[in-house]
Amino acid sequence: MSDGLTHAAWTDAVRDGRLLGGSCGQCDTTVGTPKAACPHCGARDLETVDLPTEGVVYTETTINVPPEGIEERGYQVAIVDLGDARLLGRVDGETVGVGDDVALSGYTEDEQGYTAPRFEAV
Amino acid sequence: MARAAVVGAGMTKFGVHDTPLQELFGEAAFDALDDAGIGPSDVEALYFGNAMSGQAENETHLGPKVASYVGMAGIPVQRFEDACATSANAFKNAVAAVEAGVHDVVVVGGVERCTPETGKDTDEMTRIFASASHRQYEQPAGLTFPGVFALLTKRHMHEYGTTEEQLAHVAVKNHGNGALNPRAHFGKETTVEEALDGPVVADPFRLMDCCPFSDGASALVVTSEAYADSYDAPVDVAGVGHATDVVPIADKTTPHVTQAARDAAGEAYEQAGTGADEMDFAEVHDCFTGAEILASEALGLVADGEGGPAAEEGRTARDGDVPINPSGGLKAKGHPIGATGAAQIVELVEHLRGEAGERQIPDAERAVAHNLGGDAATTVVSVMEAHR
Ligand SMILES: [Zn+2]
Repeated sequence: MSDGLTHAAWTDAVRDGRLLGGSCGQCDTTVGTPKAACPHCGARDLETVDLPTEGVVYTETTINVPPEGIEERGYQVAIVDLGDARLLGRVDGETVGVGDDVALSGYTEDEQGYTAPRFEAV
Repeated sequence: MARAAVVGAGMTKFGVHDTPLQELFGEAAFDALDDAGIGPSDVEALYFGNAMSGQAENETHLGPKVASYVGMAGIPVQRFEDACATSANAFKNAVAAVEAGVHDVVVVGGVERCTPETGKDTDEMTRIFASASHRQYEQPAGLTFPGVFALLTKRHMHEYGTTEEQLAHVAVKNHGNGALNPRAHFGKETTVEEALDGPVVADPFRLMDCCPFSDGASALVVTSEAYADSYDAPVDVAGVGHATDVVPIADKTTPHVTQAARDAAGEAYEQAGTGADEMDFAEVHDCFTGAEILASEALGLVADGEGGPAAEEGRTARDGDVPINPSGGLKAKGHPIGATGAAQIVELVEHLRGEAGERQIPDAERAVAHNLGGDAATTVVSVMEAHR
């Protein structure tokens, strides 16, 4: 739609090692994925902001039964607290737990080219 | 005053069915019509739920197909898709329609096939289920549905110290209840040791923490309050609440509180002029054991953080102070996605009529059903009462 954060811009940033979110000018909400309006107050003036690329694991799980299209088993996904926003991503390397510090380490891409950030313990 | 009444209830056995969707739905629909003592020509509209047949069976525009099969072609049919909350959403709209006088008698229900009878095996069906998570911001990470509820449950464990043993107690209870339900997918009891010994699907969930892939159908006949007394065994619909939450999970304010359930429950209790303390039992959406614990708290049946201990201490057993899922729940009764919400109402109806047999909650007068869809982003909560 407008000049707000798009999926394409968010994806380009992830590929460049940056994480973009939307910060609401009317309330104190910051979202980690593109929205055309604030989910809490409806304001359309979400400002695109750089989110920190280091954060703290909010919750996580290790998936042993993957969907069709993923061969790997036992991969970890986590929701990471990145300052004012949270974001879901894959976890590289050692398994992390709630409260552990992690940093952006790259991205993964599915067969349609949709990307997800990767994080690793720091 | 009630918003509407359920005057007929029916469902197939949940499990594995080598039967086309219209035949499965027909069995449930005729069960409900016979229960109400009416025929297809008495029905003015069909509110129909199916979540995934387009993906699972290359089968869309199911409304007129199932209506034709059961002798209802010609009437308006509306089809609902709201992931696992599909047929509760159909029920909500059916109640609103009779209450508003749009129709006097409607059938509401749903059907789904999720087992390998569809031709789809576990990894294909896991991918289809995952389509309810966000396409751009969740699926690329490899998130699955067990993974979604594992994320919510892991945070709950962190906040409150909920344990894997407590999760296992939910599975044991629901399998015990399912063993008394002739229409349950699983009719076998299990133990905490057996549950804790199963293979991990998405930690903390082991196999026994997860509901099965099931096939099945459910149907209800709903009429307005004014016509309820012209049927043999009406049960009152006192309130239906419906709310949504932000998707994806990471953008929810506090994911594990399942805010949509709290909002929907508040709305349903308010309509019914009642509260959690007045519920004699609950049917909740235990797609995973952790989901039942979150639901027991969101509905106000137990205090926040008490869902795990309540399961462990037997408070949520049929003879506990807050019985949950006497049917066996999704965990043991089964979870044919689009049929689940209306099937919860079938269970409420049977207990509130005093006809639930061995698993009857004694003297049940009032009960609540909680059906959620997707990552808990849709929840419909219904309060029903014995007819006065
Ligand atoms: Zn705002």
